[in-house]
Amino acid sequence: MNYSDLLKQLLPEAVLVITALALLGAAVAVEAKRGTPVSNGLVIAIAAAGIVLAALALCFVPVEATSGKDLVVIDPLARMFKAVVLGLGLLAVLLPPARREIANPGEFYALMLFSLTGLLLTTGTNHLLFLFVALELASLSLYLLAGFSRSARAAEAALKYFLFGGVSAAFLLFGLSLIYGFAHTATLGGVAAALAAGPPPLLAMTGLVMVVAGLGFKLAAAPFHYWAPDVYQGAPATSVALIAAASKAVGMVVLVRFLLIGFHAAAGSGAWGGMVPGWSMWLAILSAVSMIFGNVLALAQTSVRRLLAYSAVANTGYLLVAMSANGKAAAGAALFYVIVYGLATLGALAVSAAVERDRGNDSPAAFAGLVQRSPWQAVALLVFLTSLAGIPPLAGFVGKFALFSTAMAETAHSGTSGLTWLVGLAAIMSAISLYYYLSVLKQAFVRDAVDGESKVGFAMSPAHALAVGVPAVALVVLGLFPAILLEPITRALVGSL
Amino acid sequence: MTPAWTIISAFAGALLVLLLPARAAGASRFIALAASLVGAVAAAAACLARLDHPTGPVWSYNRPWVPSLGINFHLAADGLSLTLLLLTGLVAVAGVLFSWNVERRPRAFFAFFLTIIGGVYGVFLSRDAFLLFVCYEIVILPKYMLIAIWGSTNKEYGAMKLTMYSIGSSALILIGLVVAYAAAGATSFDLAHLAGAHYPLALQMWAFPILFLGFAVLAGMWPFHTWAPTGHVAAPTAASMLLAGVVMKLGAYGALCVALPLFPQGFVAWQPVIAGLAVIGVVYGALTALQQKDLKFVIGYSSVSHMGFVLLGIAAATHWGLRGAVLQMISHGIVAGLLFGIAGRVVYERTHTRDLTALQGFDLWRTLPGAAVAFTLATAASMGLPGFSGFVAEISVAIGLWQRFPWLVPAIAAGIVITGAFSLRALHKAFFPVRHPSAAAPPALPPLTWPEISAISLLLAVSLAIGIYPKPWVVLIDDGLRSPLFHTILSLK
Repeated sequence: MNYSDLLKQLLPEAVLVITALALLGAAVAVEAKRGTPVSNGLVIAIAAAGIVLAALALCFVPVEATSGKDLVVIDPLARMFKAVVLGLGLLAVLLPPARREIANPGEFYALMLFSLTGLLLTTGTNHLLFLFVALELASLSLYLLAGFSRSARAAEAALKYFLFGGVSAAFLLFGLSLIYGFAHTATLGGVAAALAAGPPPLLAMTGLVMVVAGLGFKLAAAPFHYWAPDVYQGAPATSVALIAAASKAVGMVVLVRFLLIGFHAAAGSGAWGGMVPGWSMWLAILSAVSMIFGNVLALAQTSVRRLLAYSAVANTGYLLVAMSANGKAAAGAALFYVIVYGLATLGALAVSAAVERDRGNDSPAAFAGLVQRSPWQAVALLVFLTSLAGIPPLAGFVGKFALFSTAMAETAHSGTSGLTWLVGLAAIMSAISLYYYLSVLKQAFVRDAVDGESKVGFAMSPAHALAVGVPAVALVVLGLFPAILLEPITRALVGSL
Repeated sequence: MTPAWTIISAFAGALLVLLLPARAAGASRFIALAASLVGAVAAAAACLARLDHPTGPVWSYNRPWVPSLGINFHLAADGLSLTLLLLTGLVAVAGVLFSWNVERRPRAFFAFFLTIIGGVYGVFLSRDAFLLFVCYEIVILPKYMLIAIWGSTNKEYGAMKLTMYSIGSSALILIGLVVAYAAAGATSFDLAHLAGAHYPLALQMWAFPILFLGFAVLAGMWPFHTWAPTGHVAAPTAASMLLAGVVMKLGAYGALCVALPLFPQGFVAWQPVIAGLAVIGVVYGALTALQQKDLKFVIGYSSVSHMGFVLLGIAAATHWGLRGAVLQMISHGIVAGLLFGIAGRVVYERTHTRDLTALQGFDLWRTLPGAAVAFTLATAASMGLPGFSGFVAEISVAIGLWQRFPWLVPAIAAGIVITGAFSLRALHKAFFPVRHPSAAAPPALPPLTWPEISAISLLLAVSLAIGIYPKPWVVLIDDGLRSPLFHTILSLK
């Protein structure tokens, strides 16, 4: 491989980095000339243009077989999720920060682009060390983005995020080094070959436990979720949108690659009555804990953003139901659902950010009478929250249905009742979740606003409207025609694993 | 005109109503009426066409939807589906007529109303488990909104209770369907495929009650019926009519056409339990209705009792029993719609009370004679007097029950007697009070309006038609029961 090949393969990432640098330069130049920081609108336009250019560049990246090139892999899965990350990243960028929330928009959006670069690199590698470096590039930018608004809440959020993140990174790195020590190679294919030789030794399994814990943090799986509520509540909405959607999707891709390529042989089983130690069993337990924790704690929240954080924990639980089934169809369903979940959460954050700016807080009561104040936003919120609750005809319903049915299908043939216990728990937990989503929708649709302003509408910028409207339309379309995304994902998985 | 027009008209109507500009909001009721008329006419036309060729091939539409999961967009309309479509269409038309005076946010009201109708049509036409489940769940959110926004007594509580029961029972259905899908080889969600697979007895023993219970909760099976009276009372008139008239039928239909065919051996094992719970429902519902003070609660508990007959017919699982169950679904749909329409719209909107004691002061049979006559006839239909649809249905269920569980027949006889008692008590108290000569003259009430009269006449006429000449309905239902889905169930000994 030579440098021109490498540049061809990493063209989207290069475009993002160049845009980020240009953004920093432009911000400095404008500030030097005018004496005031550059406006949000200009940097959002530049950053969005950079992401669109990167997406165009992605079309010219050649698809190559994975053989021999583990460092940078451009398989169908990587291509597809680079596009997904760019799309979700673009929507996050379009969700503008509140007035005067961010002092230096140039640096903020440059960090967004750096973080996206890290996420793009993470989706396309089968190499342990490169995986770590790319993931940390994304994470370090995200820590800064979480604390960018200089409010006390944001500082607390960023500190928690950073401390938990630092520990999880240490776990991840230590786990990776143990795996390297076992396999004497840093490629996932090499690990799989080493595991095929015999039963997995303690060294490899210890490494795997640590990696799963580290990734559990990134995905906000209970009990590694303690950062999530504070970050979701305290960080700027723009940063949260990136953390909740794009970063979670990438976390799932990493999990799929790591477990299905590298550690396929060490899966064990999470079937009731037939548990065999291995990642399948651990994920089943993490999944059950996440679903119970997330849904029960979400019932008690008085801030919609915190509610979304606990819903994130619960949704990670649903995703892990399918992952613990250890099969390609289930993994495909999980990757489909993580996109759908990202869209719904991003949209819900965008609406709640708009309400928060109008009302000063994000308690459910602030949403009272939303249908009169801003009917389209209320309808969009209905789409987002009911999609999260899994009500048809929205994409969240199809996603959950696919998660549960593939998880059952992959494990039912083994003669035991398979993952019925986990799928049953997930279905019941998902039913409970409707209660808290509905309590927000009740305010928006049933109650009138408490003060006299009930009929006063509020405007939002065109970018913000896009960040609300695009996910809403996408969720309806994907709900009615899920095959347009589910089939390509399934094909990409088959072509990549 | 294919049966698909039922679904298309409902959803297209809902969309049209939503897109109306604010100043034309009043037109939404005309659009809703047109949409539900199109649906009812399409259903009636399909029924007539099927009656001409009752053994010909059924109308169906089958396209791949999500190939990787084996999901098809599969609709088909045999006689059983068609009769239930027609019921839905009739209740929908009557519901729009009874909601003619909705002034608060009419666009949203009729959009939610038509979405429920569309979902119900969809369930009755689906031949794919996924599609059926989608349509089944589409109904949940509009139900919540209709009750919470336009409801009365304790509306937010009633709406949330009903919604959580619905979604909880859906979770059970989801588990049951997914288990069947996985055990049948994970290749297709087509109901015929799922019903044709052989499931081990051990699996059927636990999967059947999960799936059946999921559907039975929505059908108001005792002791999971408590959402029904609370929800029906809290709901606005049209929503009560839909809930009792057609949405409860979704549960019964699912139990009959999904749970039984999928796990027949599991059903055999649980058959006595289901029959026992259904009998308790019949008697308990009637006894509770006997003690209610609110006219709508009387009707709400009578629904629990009447739906008990449907479940009994299903539990008997003989040809007579299943036929009676479907007839009772249709009969109760019409009669409950009528009773809720009169109590919630005609009486309550004029007197602003549903309390049986307070209603005595209005001397309704003098001040509102039309309503009194209509309610008397509806009560007769509800009691199952010969000549009305309820008689045909209950006698069929009783015959079916006699074939399978003869020792339960006295219990339902008692249920029928108590039904007579509570019906006459409510009728007497609300409409024909004994007045002291010295009592103040009752206030004058506005006469019945044309939408009310047309809705009442429509539903009464259908109930009488079924009661006097049930043959076409029986022919259509028997056509549905010939489906391969019921072969195993009907060949049980």
